[in-house]
Amino acid sequence: MSGPGAPKGGRDPSQPRPASEGWAILSYMIGGMALYGFVGWLAARWTGWPVLFPIGMLAGLASAIALVIFRVTRS
Amino acid sequence: MSDTSVMTTASGCHIFSGCGYPAPSISNFYFKPIFTVGGIAITKPVVLAVLSGAIILAFFYVAFRKPKLVPRGTQNLGELGVLFVRDQILRQQLGRKGDKYLPFIVAIFFFVWIMNVFSLIPLIQFPATSKIAFPAGLAFVVWVTYITIGMKSKGPIGYFKQMAVPEGAPWWILPLLSPVELLSNIFVRPFTLAIRLFANMLSGHLLLLVFGLASWYLFSLSIGLLFSVTSFLLTIILTGLEVLITALQAFIFATLTAFYIADATETSH
Repeated sequence: MSGPGAPKGGRDPSQPRPASEGWAILSYMIGGMALYGFVGWLAARWTGWPVLFPIGMLAGLASAIALVIFRVTRS
Repeated sequence: MSDTSVMTTASGCHIFSGCGYPAPSISNFYFKPIFTVGGIAITKPVVLAVLSGAIILAFFYVAFRKPKLVPRGTQNLGELGVLFVRDQILRQQLGRKGDKYLPFIVAIFFFVWIMNVFSLIPLIQFPATSKIAFPAGLAFVVWVTYITIGMKSKGPIGYFKQMAVPEGAPWWILPLLSPVELLSNIFVRPFTLAIRLFANMLSGHLLLLVFGLASWYLFSLSIGLLFSVTSFLLTIILTGLEVLITALQAFIFATLTAFYIADATETSH
């Protein structure tokens, strides 16, 4: 993998990203939905508006997607 | 087997004989203790886990007891296995500098693989990894390992910062994204690592049970015979699929372990 032109010890940028990065995305999706879903659930219980729970989950999903985009498109 | 559905089927429970399909359930994954050591009940999955550890130890001891420059026999096979893990799993993630983690990844890969393969060995036919305790224990070991490596290579604060601050994200969005990044890196990673292996092995074993039991249950000299043959064919096909899954899940587990270690050591991923 790491040829002479590759950064020392790191991944060769000319090579395609390994599939494990795809697996890592899964943990962002679950993490985002779990965290902001929980926040939304708490807010829904506190305010009595149940709609805040799904909104929280969607916000979590959105932030997870944003994280993935930043992670993949940087450098 | 400790479960009731297998017992009732074996006792001649067939379709049209007035007995219902003895559907496999989660009870098929609970075993009576074989014996007790100091208050700890030893069940079949525990025996299988110890056995797979013993098999790996014995195999690699025999393979590399007297290593020769030109490998023969068992050493050939052992080198094949180690080189596969090194080239297909470790170096894909860590490059050459990761070779010091080779023993760890090799142990993880073969331990998981042998425990999975037990689901296909006749008379054993139970994957130890379909009990959540084993994947969870392994994931905990992996978790402690990559956190320790990360803290060693960057210091506790530097590592914490890397886990909390997603690279490439503009600063104003950090309050929203940092908690997700942190949660995903610390809690969700080991959780998904364990659940993925556990759920795959559980569902695979359950599928084989469903069709294996059905091909015996549906067997009768009637139209049931046709169903029985179909079910038996499906059992064979699914067994082939399971052969693939056992290796694939071990591969994914080891790959992700290497990836987490790489993520903890790399300065910029």
